[in-house]
Amino acid sequence: MLNPVQIETYSALANELIPAAEGMPSASEADVPTTWINTALGYRPDLVEAFLRSIDSCRGEVPARALENLNANDTEAFDALGVLTSGAYFLNPGVKELLGYPGQLPVPAHDDTETYLEILERVVDRGPIYRASVST
Amino acid sequence: MSNAHLIQKPRPETADVLVIGAGASGSVAVRELVQQGFSVVCLEQGDWTPATEFTGDKPEWELSRQKQWHPNPNVRQNPSDYSVNTDDSDVNPLMFNAVGGSTILYAAHWCRALPSDFQVHTQDGVADDWPFSYEDLLPFYQEIERDMAVSGLAGNTAYPDGGGYPLPPLPIGKYGHKAASGMDKLGWHWWPGNNSIASKAVGHRAQCLRYGACLTGCPAGAKASTDLTHWPYALELGAHLVTGARVSEVTVNAEGLATGANYVDREGNEHHQKAKVVVLAGNGIGTPRLLLLSKSSAHPDGLANSSGLVGKRLMMHPYAAVVGTYEDELESWLGPAGQSIESMEFYETDASRGFVRGAKWNVMPTGGPLGMRAGYGGRPIEESFGVNFHRNVKTVLGKSFEWGIIAEDLPDENNQIVLDSINVDSDGIPIPELHYKSSENTSRLIDFHVDRAVEAHEAAGATTISVTKLMRDCGWHLLGTARMGDDSSTSVVDQFGRAHDCPNLYVIDGSVFVTSSGVNPTATIMANALRSMRHLAETHTDQKTAN
Repeated sequence: MLNPVQIETYSALANELIPAAEGMPSASEADVPTTWINTALGYRPDLVEAFLRSIDSCRGEVPARALENLNANDTEAFDALGVLTSGAYFLNPGVKELLGYPGQLPVPAHDDTETYLEILERVVDRGPIYRASVST
Repeated sequence: MSNAHLIQKPRPETADVLVIGAGASGSVAVRELVQQGFSVVCLEQGDWTPATEFTGDKPEWELSRQKQWHPNPNVRQNPSDYSVNTDDSDVNPLMFNAVGGSTILYAAHWCRALPSDFQVHTQDGVADDWPFSYEDLLPFYQEIERDMAVSGLAGNTAYPDGGGYPLPPLPIGKYGHKAASGMDKLGWHWWPGNNSIASKAVGHRAQCLRYGACLTGCPAGAKASTDLTHWPYALELGAHLVTGARVSEVTVNAEGLATGANYVDREGNEHHQKAKVVVLAGNGIGTPRLLLLSKSSAHPDGLANSSGLVGKRLMMHPYAAVVGTYEDELESWLGPAGQSIESMEFYETDASRGFVRGAKWNVMPTGGPLGMRAGYGGRPIEESFGVNFHRNVKTVLGKSFEWGIIAEDLPDENNQIVLDSINVDSDGIPIPELHYKSSENTSRLIDFHVDRAVEAHEAAGATTISVTKLMRDCGWHLLGTARMGDDSSTSVVDQFGRAHDCPNLYVIDGSVFVTSSGVNPTATIMANALRSMRHLAETHTDQKTAN
């Protein structure tokens, strides 16, 4: 769980990475800094240290410049920030809905052979393409 | 899964057969031998992975696949994993240590090798022939396909008639149709993909629910991992499985015959299991590592290594990915992943192309919005973030698919596994060190195939196409490091996997491959393991042992 100071710094960074655009909400509008980043950190405890380092190193800086510096000087921390922020954003059900992505839902397999048999017959008509075994 | 209901007999002090590794080939060995009445002990360094642990049906799937369920043991770093030194390798080896081995995480593309794959020297004048033919292996392919309940459509013109498959094919989906339309326009071969994924419930497996998460473990229990297809039967028949058991050495007597193996449990305690016959099934890296670790006065260069070929001729199938994006909604997060369709159009050698051998192509989905996006560091921020974050996702998500290219790499003794002289695993055992470079033939092969795959996407109407000529994390297929052959000076084991130097030692995993073929090897690994173990059972009265 981030403290208020970390949330303030992180919100600015997250919105720089994921701004409102193309009909999609910003990271803050999608509750990433207040809700979903905590969920994402729970899924990836291995990234917590590098993620917190990224926030600490950017505190009090202009977000765009701070991110450029982080990317140039601490790629591990930038990676953690990028992966967790992106992953947290896509955890928001509203974001998935806007993207038309249902998430990990079961769709039982069905046999769709009949839908392609006509064009598959043309493959069959062209005949075998393998080389047979030869006597040695 | 729980096997608490089984009342096992006490583990034998001396097993008829000790199998090391509970993955694709080890599972086949245990099931076959215990069915034939042998007492069998299997040592496996991993543990069971219940389907409830897999994240493919959970929100955390895309984040966890980059760490906890990553196929690279150097990334995953589970207690059951050992690291692999890849400083001098173009490709990272991928594997999973568990009951079921790498079948827990494999993509389940089910492909027989082709007749020419067994006669590379005879038909193409390079490398070597296998000591048996496609026809020799065919009945074992068919038997394993029943055991694995493969889903597929008979009649593929890329293969000799080999009969049908136990289950109907999985759906090729909208993206499979799109890919097929391009191939149809070009007049190129394609076929609905065979997968060892259940299109209908069968045995201990449920019907595929198309999570598209095959590569991170099937949460539906539909994929044919051998913890589901083989182990329940083997345990019912009395096989003894020891999990969390990392083998450090195959032991031998003064004559050089195998006597069993030393192993370390997860608490760090050392044990010894005696056996009349030892079978190695630790994959193309784990097996040569163990052979090299097992030095003795009888085998001073490592067990069964008088040829000097243990660890050499490593083949890993360099993999190229050509992703096309389309304007159409293709639902390309749906499985199987798995292969939707495949193509063998350019599989066989055509000397006019400037290289020998070829590659199988497979269409795979591109997954969810996060995908495998990572490694942002050091690249321009605006490439992946800002307004492009949204544009990239909207362009690719659900509207793209991959033509994957499995390039056959030829054996080369410089591509090899040795023991790391410095680094050790969590039990203090030297880790393997890889030396692997793509050859000029492979580079030309990949260039040609990538160009054709771009044409396939263009014919299907792709709006953008991106090419990755060599994926670093692609080394699923670990082959060739203890090759079979008739001549003990140029091979490690005979055609049934019996070590030339140690007649009660067998190797049955991908290490024994003479050449790599250009297809996913699990079908061939398992069929070959079955052939080897059936031969062992049929000839056991003549089997020389140390005890």
